[in-house]
Amino acid sequence: MWTYEKRLQFPVHITRTNPKTASLIISQFGGPDGELAASMRYLSQRYSMPCKEVGGLLTDIGTEELAHLEMICAIIFQLTKNLTAEEAKTAGFDAYYIDHTTALWPTAAAGVPFNACEFQSKGDAITDLTEDLAAEQKARTTYDNLIRVIDDTEVLAPLRFLRQREIVHFQRFGEALEKIKDSLDAKNFYYFNPEFDKQFVKA
Amino acid sequence: MTDRNTMLKQISETSFLLDDMRLYLDTHPLDENAMEQYGDYQEKRRQLLKEYAEQFEPLTCDCIRPEKSGSGRTITEYPGRKHWTWSDGPIPWDLEANACATMKGGR
Repeated sequence: MWTYEKRLQFPVHITRTNPKTASLIISQFGGPDGELAASMRYLSQRYSMPCKEVGGLLTDIGTEELAHLEMICAIIFQLTKNLTAEEAKTAGFDAYYIDHTTALWPTAAAGVPFNACEFQSKGDAITDLTEDLAAEQKARTTYDNLIRVIDDTEVLAPLRFLRQREIVHFQRFGEALEKIKDSLDAKNFYYFNPEFDKQFVKA
Repeated sequence: MTDRNTMLKQISETSFLLDDMRLYLDTHPLDENAMEQYGDYQEKRRQLLKEYAEQFEPLTCDCIRPEKSGSGRTITEYPGRKHWTWSDGPIPWDLEANACATMKGGR
């Protein structure tokens, strides 16, 4: 279960309206490597994870991703809070505005709506953790791309925080993968599915 | 009495330290030094959340005190009246709740 804490994980304080920037950052809400996909990926994968400590890590990182999703939404909300009708015509934001006004709706920057196919829950610990490692790197690359094209320091501060978290999560997933490997036969790590073929997993 | 943004900044920093250490301890469950630090900061966070709720409004459901009506320093639609305080204070995603971002200095 979850409970809510009435604050953001890292403060978001943006005073300048910028629908163009919002239309780019929204990818980290509903895009292919966004925070919604990240959270759903980890929280879906954890149930069948054969090692309960790794299941616990997936819960904790999946939970933090929800806090990141909230920060991304706060950034977009503040960037469009005082939007004028004229500003709504900004290229990149105009089509979104027609369908959602300034409400939050998960979509990629390129306009593709959020889709569960953005992530996998494969039921194989090595497969899933390898996907998680790649996912953290892809999210980090997306933050790199955003940081390169955005120059508002108020927007950059939370983006830099979020980028750093991708690096920490990559480190932790790497450690989790090592832990799973420790419970397997070193001669055939990739030979079977440790979640399904449980007879091969050390107690 | 400490001001709202100073306290929020302290809560934010202490909580983040715990968020990060929790993930570290998930993969290093035998690190006694880290566990000791976790315990110290956990106590600090508990104290800060309690003080913040007493002076302003609850940030977690465990900090809600239905028998109390809220302090005079809270942002509320029901000043001076006994009321449900969970919706007091600024909305977390609004500028007002995040003004501590503009403060200078570290811990």
